[in-house]
Amino acid sequence: MIFGKTKLELKVGIFVFIGLFILAVFVLSIGGVKTWASGYKVNLIFNFVNGVKRGAPVRFAGVDVGEVRSIKFFHAPQDLKTKVRIVCWLRKDVSVPLDSVVWINTLGLLGEKYVEIMPGRDYKNILKPGHDLTGEDPIPMNEVMKEAKNIADNINIGVARIINKEGTVGKLLFDDKIYNELEAAVTDIRNNPWKLFWKTKEKK
Amino acid sequence: MLTRFFILVGSRLISFMYFLGGLGTLAFQTIYLTFTPPFKKDRVFEQAKKAGYDSLPIVALVSLFIGFIFALQTAYFMQRIGSEIYIASMVALSIVRELGPVITALIVAGRVGAAITAELGSMQVTEQIDALETLAANPVKYLVVPRFLALSVMLPLLTLYSDAIGILGGYIICVFRLGISSSMYIKVTTEALFYKDLFTGLFKTIFFGMIIALVSCYEGFNVQGGAEGVGQATTRSVVVTFIMIIIADCFFTAMFYFIFP
Repeated sequence: MIFGKTKLELKVGIFVFIGLFILAVFVLSIGGVKTWASGYKVNLIFNFVNGVKRGAPVRFAGVDVGEVRSIKFFHAPQDLKTKVRIVCWLRKDVSVPLDSVVWINTLGLLGEKYVEIMPGRDYKNILKPGHDLTGEDPIPMNEVMKEAKNIADNINIGVARIINKEGTVGKLLFDDKIYNELEAAVTDIRNNPWKLFWKTKEKK
Repeated sequence: MLTRFFILVGSRLISFMYFLGGLGTLAFQTIYLTFTPPFKKDRVFEQAKKAGYDSLPIVALVSLFIGFIFALQTAYFMQRIGSEIYIASMVALSIVRELGPVITALIVAGRVGAAITAELGSMQVTEQIDALETLAANPVKYLVVPRFLALSVMLPLLTLYSDAIGILGGYIICVFRLGISSSMYIKVTTEALFYKDLFTGLFKTIFFGMIIALVSCYEGFNVQGGAEGVGQATTRSVVVTFIMIIIADCFFTAMFYFIFP
């Protein structure tokens, strides 16, 4: 039998070819074109990054334009702080003005973190590849909670006083005196409407 | 009564050890003979056609319906919480990671593995395997190696077909039944999948193929008695293959996602 000429081999060949074709389609579509698209890297400096992960999207004016490539600590000697440097990859056609505001944002109900860049106005000074831009720190969740607890405590004190019939609001809600007075006044006016036009004599 | 129980358990255990030992010996012989000449290509091609090309219609059909069912089942829940768009990622991930490889392996085990056991079993019963040995042809080299090679190469390819067709099934349901836009579905699918999902899925099917080939051949060689023995061996081969595939799958999942994440 001459090798490579049988129908059997043709069938297996077609099968393998289509299989490899599917593999190629999978590999290309999973990886996406963005790995080959040209772009540049910039550094964003934060004090606190609230759990951004590698591969998190970077949004410029709300459009996905890149991703987080690496996250590293470093010590900033001039202000004695540990800071975080996020290296972001951005598409080539995106230019970020230096006065842009950068912060970490949370997406949707699943809580995925991403880097949000709100573009600035000064397009004369743009962020060059490899340069740094300091971001605004996200408010840590526990501070938000602390503030919320403060507010809740204050409200609690107020509500407790109202329930204890203290203060003006407490008296307004629980003291029937003002209601009775009002009702008496209304009934009185309804019965004797002329009283509205009646002027009491002022004592002098 | 108690002694009979222990005798039963012990004999089962011993026969299981025999089975493992035999399977291991066959595996080592097969792997050794796979890499030693002479190589007979046309026998491999014949088995490749039987395992791959001929199994494609049933694998495609089952995968398509698995895709349909999965999309519909997920849609039932996702519509209630109003996030239909995650159906695409659910379908893609579960098919590429688990359903595609396992369903394909089980179909091939039932279809090809059973056929191998029946074929080798009837050869054993009619003493054709002994005849091969007297002709100085190693039956492992002649019979097992082509099936082993063909299955371990064809199963990943079949799994690729299964993945693609399963995702197509989910696509059909989502686009034509649930009204999700076509480009959105494709985008969510490609965003949900990573190389790891695809390649771990394909990697384990190589081992599933080896399990199917080795267990079926082992059971085929060990047929005793006549036609009835062939029937019993075929049943046992399919059952053992199914169990081993599921256990291997559990093992690989634990390995890929928990031990070396």
